[in-house]
Amino acid sequence: MTTDAKQSWAGERMPCLGGLCGALFAPRCTPEGKYLDTLPGLIAIALAFLTLSGAVMAAYYDPWHAFASVQFIRREVNNGWLVQAYHATGATALFGLVYLHLFRVMLTRAYRAPGEFAWWLAVKLLALLLFVGWMGFVLSGGAAGYWSLFNAANAAVSLPGAPGAVARWFLGGPAAPASLARLEMFHTVLALAALAVAGGLLAARRKVAPQPAPGKGVAFYPYYLAQYLAALAVFALIFSVLLFFAPHFGQPAVNALAADPLTLPAGTALPWYLLPLAGVADALPGLWGGVAGVAGALVVLAALPWLDRAGPDGAKGKLYCALTWILALDVLALGATSAAHDNPQAPLLLGLFTLWYFFHFLVLTPLVTAMEAK
Amino acid sequence: MRRFFAPLLALGLAAAGAAQAEDTLTPLHFQSQGALGSIDKAAAQRGFLVYQTVCAACHSANALHYRDLEALGLTPDQAAGVAAGVKLADGSAATLDSPFKDPAMPASAFGGAAPPDLSSIVAQRKHGTMYIYKLLTGYAAAPQSVNLLPGHYYNTAFPGGQIAMPPVLRDNAVTYADGTAATAQQEAADVAEFLTWAADPNLSARHQIGLRAVIFFLFLSLVALASKRGIWRERA
Amino acid sequence: MAETAATEASGHGTESRRGFLTILTGAASAVAIGAIGWPLVDALNPDAESEAGARLIVDVADIAENTAKAVQWGGLPIYIRKLTAQQIADAQAVVPDTLPDPADFMSRVPAAYQNYVVVVGLNTGTPCELEGNDPADPRGDFGGWICPCDGSQYDPLGRVRSGPAKKNLAIPRFTFINAAQIQFG
Repeated sequence: MTTDAKQSWAGERMPCLGGLCGALFAPRCTPEGKYLDTLPGLIAIALAFLTLSGAVMAAYYDPWHAFASVQFIRREVNNGWLVQAYHATGATALFGLVYLHLFRVMLTRAYRAPGEFAWWLAVKLLALLLFVGWMGFVLSGGAAGYWSLFNAANAAVSLPGAPGAVARWFLGGPAAPASLARLEMFHTVLALAALAVAGGLLAARRKVAPQPAPGKGVAFYPYYLAQYLAALAVFALIFSVLLFFAPHFGQPAVNALAADPLTLPAGTALPWYLLPLAGVADALPGLWGGVAGVAGALVVLAALPWLDRAGPDGAKGKLYCALTWILALDVLALGATSAAHDNPQAPLLLGLFTLWYFFHFLVLTPLVTAMEAK
Repeated sequence: MRRFFAPLLALGLAAAGAAQAEDTLTPLHFQSQGALGSIDKAAAQRGFLVYQTVCAACHSANALHYRDLEALGLTPDQAAGVAAGVKLADGSAATLDSPFKDPAMPASAFGGAAPPDLSSIVAQRKHGTMYIYKLLTGYAAAPQSVNLLPGHYYNTAFPGGQIAMPPVLRDNAVTYADGTAATAQQEAADVAEFLTWAADPNLSARHQIGLRAVIFFLFLSLVALASKRGIWRERA
Repeated sequence: MAETAATEASGHGTESRRGFLTILTGAASAVAIGAIGWPLVDALNPDAESEAGARLIVDVADIAENTAKAVQWGGLPIYIRKLTAQQIADAQAVVPDTLPDPADFMSRVPAAYQNYVVVVGLNTGTPCELEGNDPADPRGDFGGWICPCDGSQYDPLGRVRSGPAKKNLAIPRFTFINAAQIQFG
């Protein structure tokens, strides 16, 4: 059967299937595919993988005995240790992919029109995943997760007005197993929402992908399929190194202790992917400062298409490219400083790095891009 | 009870046929450490004997079942026998529970310092295996500058230097079935290996499967990259 | 252009090598998906704890004659009773057809160990745990069990003899591993 025949056979019977065949077989893609273009696809696959392993764990997870049930999964369930490691390492891999994708879009400046919608979806995905990731960390029932939930619940109780009411509604009161039961629900629902956002990201990117010259396009099958397979294989290689040889990568060791109100970790103990934002929150004074810091950091990221004053046709400047690299280092430094809470210089450094983060977006970005566009 | 039972257990373990132990103390090394480490079952069995004879008098390891010991090379009958030796109703399905019936008892009996559960202690401490060894062999006379709390002992490995646990390991606290000399150091090293297994029972399998997975995905990556290049080159 | 010519010149060798690579990649990817997916499927198989619980082993050597041992299995009270020679003789003497729920001796006891009766200790009338495991307990007129809730009476084989109940006591799945141990499940 020829490609056209397949397309019409399926298309007659179910138009959306015909559309799918069209998408797979029509020569719509540019012939210069980069491996890193597969990142949104890999993000969607990693999310689906996390959903699967999470669904299996949900069969055994018990929010009322969170730590014991995770131990049960790791010790008693057939291959449960592997499924649990899938989920934990999957989270690490997913955040790695999302951070890498955001950084690449910033570097290639693909966030500019008409790519701004895809950029917002990517930032929204990051925000959702940070939330889902935090909940997953709390759901593990370890001492560090408990402490984090305890802090959040205490903050919720002290918030006045509507924000406090929303926070109390969300957490169900002070730190208690009841909180974990609802967090399990929110973790699931928001993870599925993230899956939908990832799908939207794929669709939005398809629309803004560069169009091939007439007659020069290639089809998804077999060209991009082969590329996806190669990218997936390399991803699986890195993933299996982490999975089998560093299963607790980026997790605070104190989370291996059961949650216990009398056992509190010293200082910040969060998984690696939350550390940079935690650093921003710590650098600003008070509860409102922390909330504003986290929200502000994400908002300036989402506002990047406007902060870049070069316009859609503006030239790519070397200076701005270098500044983007410096920003990446700044975010890494924020995370590292946030983890090294014992250092007496940490508060000062956190303040500096946070200042640079906002300075980069709010001052340097408009200035340098406008200057380089001339 | 547990102390009384130790010789019986030792006999049982002798039947399990642990290999003649090699010297792991000079220099000190643990088979479980390193990227491709695996649990030294003979050492872990000896460590379990030490745990059951000495540690279990105060500590629990309640994430472990007696039937889990089969993974260390005990037969189901031996695991059931060990469970029966501590008078457990439901046999090898039981967990290695605290010896204290009253949950508030340990803290009050030990001046407020409750003996922690040992199931995951190795995962909870930095360089856990070595930490256990150093803690158990770290007792020393307190220097002049240290003012010990009542009921505390000076220990070089414990954060703060003062620990409420008395030094419990001594030479020949147990008799090993495989003929290994039961020095205090040997006992500490064996318990460290046992607790490493307890915290991560799948360590050996994880490393073994991991090595195969990495080799397989390395192969798949090369083949997939070559295949992609071939398909794209053909387009030209 | 020159490259195309070179490719054509090398002919079928390149073509078949590329085909082989494609098939190899596809096959290896399928193996990888299977190997990654299997733990997720296997994790939903019965876990070690429920396996151990579902195949409970009970010691029966310590049961004295004319008494029964009660154990919990699958959430049910299971009574394991050791019969006296007199009870065996009495039970064999009863004509099954005269009973409310006819059952002969051999259908109530394990073939190899005829002095043991293993039943679910729940009344078949009003749901209620039966009394009569200990010789000192009330056992009713037939020396077996009596229901404290509706007064149904059972003989030592667990056959209903009187009362609102109409069915004999259920017999759980079990096997004798040896003379001293029963395994359920």
